[in-house]
Amino acid sequence: MIAFLIRRLLATIVLLIVVSAITFGIFFLLPRLAGQTTYGLATQYVGRNPTPATIHQIEQQLGLNAPVIEQYGRFLRAIVFGEHYRSGPVVAYCPPPCFGYSFKSELPVWPQMVSDMPVTASLAIGAAALWLIGGVAVGILSALRRGSIWDRLSMGVALAGVSLPPFFTGLIALELFSYKWSIFPNVQYVGITQNPLLWAKNLVLPWTVLAFLYAALYARLTRSGMLETMTEDYIRTARAKGLPERTVIIRHALRAVLTPIITIFGMDLGLLLGGAILIEYTFSLHGLGLFTIEAINNQDLPEILGVTMLAAFFIVFANLIVDILYSVADPRVRT
Amino acid sequence: MKRRSTIGLSAIGAVAALVLAACGSGGGSSGGSSGGASASAYNKAITSVVNSSSTKGGTITYALSNVPDSTDPGNTYYAYNWNFTRLYATPLMTYQSCPGTCGLNLVPGLATGPGVQSANGLTWTYHIKPNVYFSDGQLVTSQDVKYAVERSFAKSVLVNGPSYFQVLLAPQKPAYTGPYTDKADGDMALQAVQTPNSTTIVFHLAQRFADFNYVVAIPQTAPVPPNKDTGAQYQTDPISTGPYMISSYQLNKQYTLVPNPHWSASDDTQVKQLASKIIVLLNVNAQDIDNRTLAGDVQVNMAGTGVQAATRGRILLNKTLKADADDPTTGFEWFAYLNTKVAPLNNLHCREAVEYAADKTTLQDAYGGPVLGGDIASTAMPPNIIGYKSFDDYKALSDPSGDLTDAKKQLSLCGHPNGFTIGLGYRSDRPTETAAAQALQAGLARAGINAQLKGFPSGSYYSTYAGVPAYVHSHDLGIDMGGWGADFPDAWGWFDELYNGNAIATAGNTNIAELSDPLVNSLLGKFQLTLNAATRNTYTTEINQQIMKDAAVLPIVYSKALDYRPPNLTNVYVQDYYGMYNYGVIGTKP
Repeated sequence: MIAFLIRRLLATIVLLIVVSAITFGIFFLLPRLAGQTTYGLATQYVGRNPTPATIHQIEQQLGLNAPVIEQYGRFLRAIVFGEHYRSGPVVAYCPPPCFGYSFKSELPVWPQMVSDMPVTASLAIGAAALWLIGGVAVGILSALRRGSIWDRLSMGVALAGVSLPPFFTGLIALELFSYKWSIFPNVQYVGITQNPLLWAKNLVLPWTVLAFLYAALYARLTRSGMLETMTEDYIRTARAKGLPERTVIIRHALRAVLTPIITIFGMDLGLLLGGAILIEYTFSLHGLGLFTIEAINNQDLPEILGVTMLAAFFIVFANLIVDILYSVADPRVRT
Repeated sequence: MKRRSTIGLSAIGAVAALVLAACGSGGGSSGGSSGGASASAYNKAITSVVNSSSTKGGTITYALSNVPDSTDPGNTYYAYNWNFTRLYATPLMTYQSCPGTCGLNLVPGLATGPGVQSANGLTWTYHIKPNVYFSDGQLVTSQDVKYAVERSFAKSVLVNGPSYFQVLLAPQKPAYTGPYTDKADGDMALQAVQTPNSTTIVFHLAQRFADFNYVVAIPQTAPVPPNKDTGAQYQTDPISTGPYMISSYQLNKQYTLVPNPHWSASDDTQVKQLASKIIVLLNVNAQDIDNRTLAGDVQVNMAGTGVQAATRGRILLNKTLKADADDPTTGFEWFAYLNTKVAPLNNLHCREAVEYAADKTTLQDAYGGPVLGGDIASTAMPPNIIGYKSFDDYKALSDPSGDLTDAKKQLSLCGHPNGFTIGLGYRSDRPTETAAAQALQAGLARAGINAQLKGFPSGSYYSTYAGVPAYVHSHDLGIDMGGWGADFPDAWGWFDELYNGNAIATAGNTNIAELSDPLVNSLLGKFQLTLNAATRNTYTTEINQQIMKDAAVLPIVYSKALDYRPPNLTNVYVQDYYGMYNYGVIGTKP
């Protein structure tokens, strides 16, 4: 098991390095190959009406005229050891893992992402808990009452959940529960350590809207998995042994159904941790999703690079966790 | 103030969204002196003060759909932020707080009076008010104002603000690059600004410039104590000279202002200290801002660009809501540049054919109609610019759907009786501009003019395409959609960057029409040499008329925005210079 873990961890690190190289290349090498000059790149970091002298100054200050491989080396070194950046009278220290320095916001990228991470994490983890519990429960009940009104109704709702985009359901939820009835007025993020009750209250709507989208998918997956599993021989054997139906369902049938769901859950959660863009935008929650939008709008390459790397990390990390859980559930995958 | 990348004096300027000044009518009473408890009404805040009150207390929440370029008064170039920074930064001069056209007037801010110009016109002297203190208790001196001006030279650190001082002040060798790069010289090394004593500051210009009082009304002259300057980070904790000070700042999320205990009402009579707290929420999506404002959770949409299209009907169809709304002109004008060098538009008659053939009603609809888009424009500058006079050379007002007969006549005169083909540039990622380009194309097609649409990304529209004459010529971009809002509400502020033929640049060009009319150039030069208001107004009208005679621009709309003011706000009115509510005086009913 330990050897497996070490192998997977090393593979994860290599994968992240490859992702960083590709991402860095996309942002800093491709523009050059496409004919973009370092002077042209520097113009993206200056404000309105820059003089040529100012642009040259920025070009040198950011080291844009250095070879790309050297810039990439600096980028990797900053991730491992951190970096100091000078801006006017101030020297800002960017601690590891430093993903660069934004010369638009005049701040290191990493602390900005750290500041936004609790918002996205609160949103993603809360919603994930809701959709996992809700989706799986609805899926089981639908499977057990196949063809009933409950089954049809829940699957109909599930279909709506998958079909309706979250910015639509989000706006409806806001209109009804925030603006009209003021049950959840003035939705904005409050830190969990600041006021846990307000934290939860302000996130109920975003959680529900996000969970509605995903729960639908999980309900359908669980239902189809359960329907298939319940016809297996070992379920019949379990029943023949006289086990209570609840035990048959939870300990035998559901266990088999959960394996693919864990895989998808890991991927979905990893993706969301990188930024739930639509939900954050709809509810004006400043997490990594809004951070990404701003970075793109501002053409802030260090920020775009940083958030891409972080999103990639979450995906890779989620995969690692899923692999580990798999290895626990099924030792054959360790080889 | 408008777009980006320009060169030279004519190149200073400009944020596309900057909407400075606005129209409006009638002189109004000063804030706090009129309005009273009279019933609210649609458009009332354009000409008078709504809910005039001196009651203190309460919290005002502003919301913004993005983030300001900076909260540092020396590093910002947006109209709404110049409006808002008056709450914590007092420039030497400022705009009179009052509804109507008097809101275009300059009055002293930190200075005791307007600048005194020397006999040769090259020196401007200001005296600052004594006994004004920063929010940390330090006494404000003229050296602090000079240091603030020096910061505006540090363009690699404070990248956002305008560059007027760099262009206008007398040069020195080696070139001054701000207080951060050459510490060997120490602070206060800018030779063109002198401080003979702690209350006097003298600016030495490279050439005469009659609008200098406007320049020192930019927040870049709000004093900054050198010992508190942290460069670009200064925005998180700027030292205040206004009625409020920033008490907390969460990057990209929100910041909060509380009353500045060291501020006195006599320091600056153009702003008020009424609310006990001001909160600015950042990155709230635009529709959410509207909904929250109508629900009472937010009081002011800080951007000042009006409600979203989806909210328009909700307000206009509801009597109560409509009574709390205003539809002021914003000071911005949308138009199409007609290039005077690209054939066949290098022929005046061909350009005049475009003027007559365009259907202004469909163009107005493309920009959102009369309420959200604006009034049909017939002149090269909007009504809120000082000295404006209305005229209608090409029947934009009398025959807004276009006069095809006159268009055909002009086509015959220019040697293309059956029309011609020309490129039409626009920003394809802007839905309204795309719709406007299509409307213009359809309108011109009726006269046989085949406008070929060429869409470009906003980010590089001016820097790479429309603002590069070589590209424009090689791609036959005879018509380019655009818009403008001036830094100064006068003819120079509006016209110089757009039509000064002496400043056509090879890149980052703002004279997109490439107009080089000796008469226009001469009038702009004369305008900058005179301080006499009547003479300046005469020049303004002459310039405006001459540019329309040159048919260098196809005016489309004088932009308007539908603003909503919650009934619990006090002292609300549209300040003409900003084209939005005056944030410096707003209070709330606790």
